[in-house]
Amino acid sequence: MRSNTTISRLELSNFPLCGSSISRRSTIISRRFASTSIACLLTLALHGIPPPILYSQEPQVPVVDDVKPIPLLTGGAGFITTFDGGQPHLGPIVTPVVLVPLGQRWLFEARGDFEADLVQVPGESGFHGTAVKGLDYAQLDFIANQYMTVSVGRFLTPFNIYNERLYPVWIRNLQTDPLILPIGIGPSNASDGAMVRGGFQANSTFEVNYAVYFSSLVTTSAVDSNRFAGGRAGIFIPKTRLEFGGSFQHSLQDARSNSFGFHAIWEPFALPLEMRAEYARSIQGSGYWAEAAYRLNQVPVFRQQMRHAQVVARMQQAFATIPANSLFDQNMKLFEFGLNYYFIDGLKATSSYGRQFSASGNSNLWTVGLTYRFLFPLGNAWRN
Amino acid sequence: MRRNAILFCVLVLIINPAIATIAQEQVRSANTTEPPASSLSHGTHDASATAAAPPSASGEKEKAAMESSLRIEGEKRFRTNCSRCHMAPHKFPPRVMATAVRHMRVRATLTDEDMRFILYYLTR
Repeated sequence: MRSNTTISRLELSNFPLCGSSISRRSTIISRRFASTSIACLLTLALHGIPPPILYSQEPQVPVVDDVKPIPLLTGGAGFITTFDGGQPHLGPIVTPVVLVPLGQRWLFEARGDFEADLVQVPGESGFHGTAVKGLDYAQLDFIANQYMTVSVGRFLTPFNIYNERLYPVWIRNLQTDPLILPIGIGPSNASDGAMVRGGFQANSTFEVNYAVYFSSLVTTSAVDSNRFAGGRAGIFIPKTRLEFGGSFQHSLQDARSNSFGFHAIWEPFALPLEMRAEYARSIQGSGYWAEAAYRLNQVPVFRQQMRHAQVVARMQQAFATIPANSLFDQNMKLFEFGLNYYFIDGLKATSSYGRQFSASGNSNLWTVGLTYRFLFPLGNAWRN
Repeated sequence: MRRNAILFCVLVLIINPAIATIAQEQVRSANTTEPPASSLSHGTHDASATAAAPPSASGEKEKAAMESSLRIEGEKRFRTNCSRCHMAPHKFPPRVMATAVRHMRVRATLTDEDMRFILYYLTR
């Protein structure tokens, strides 16, 4: 690329007799150069100066850069049996995750999804169904600084928290998806595009986390996504273990509608209790869910067994909109109660009972299953 | 011309975080290699005052106390942050934990400080 000075010299040598136009042109060039310089100085001021000062204010933070990360194959697997209105469904699922750290600041992460919904076909023996394959995410992350990570590729849409944080079978407390899960996350739960995200300590009381993203329209089946832009912001108060936040999304196709949501998580110190809730609203419908999970650590009988057990309750409600857009056929209510038992780290037995209420009739929803979280290092994990 | 100016600005935008990153690394490495002023003065005082208590012994004690407090803080942050979504996992080899924590930094938007404390706790 030629510099401004080189261009002006070349132009001057080509037109030696045009004195007034040269001076006018040089004035324009100098103005442009000045505006460029101001932009550069502003950029330097915004990006270049703060980090060293901030780091020098935090000498107590441990240095852990000497530990070299290693590629991993991890993920979850499960076998969930569901009885929906008396109809049994068998649901094997495997979701492998590949993590490849590159240097000190890069990470490639990808998650596949292989699952099936096997049902009994009248007149035939056994269960039948087809396996569904999908790519949940395949993204390249660059940790730019302590405030910002840039991700490109296919990523889980950061709308509310369930899709990003609580979706894997080994994490979720109840195996059924919340009714409002499809709101705001696009087809197949993911987006294809770019995202900027991060978390930082705003002051001694609370931390802020955020994600801003843009997704483009892709119609290829395994990696499909919609064209939209949006963001999520949250505040986490460590002293009370309370997090709350909101999400917004603007669709850039079809009806160009808006979606928004709110989420909250609270884990009181006094009890082994988790409380989570989400609300979402869009042109496709609206609704909420609220969940509480209690570990039975403090029950005074059978302590050895009780400390592995967890009881869960969730209440949710979904409201339909006009039929052309609606995710739901009609308004619904669903109450669920579950019991989980953690055998060892990552291996969990899960069961639940739910009762769904809607205008077309009420039904029971039972689930029972086993989930497992696996992890294999792809290399020598002990040699640094 | 205008395009060149825009290109130049974009280049600056790209190069500048890299420079900032290098500056961060330099400051951080300076912070870690430079011994704490308190331990230096304490060590000098001990050496001049008594031969029975060598400076390394008090230095070791201070170092152990500091490591212990860092581990406690790391455990606290581990329980506060990780349990928001899932049960506490077993400890794995340090290199495995380094990858897992980097993954969680992106996925769960952990702060840089939390990530460092948690990784310290999980690897020491």
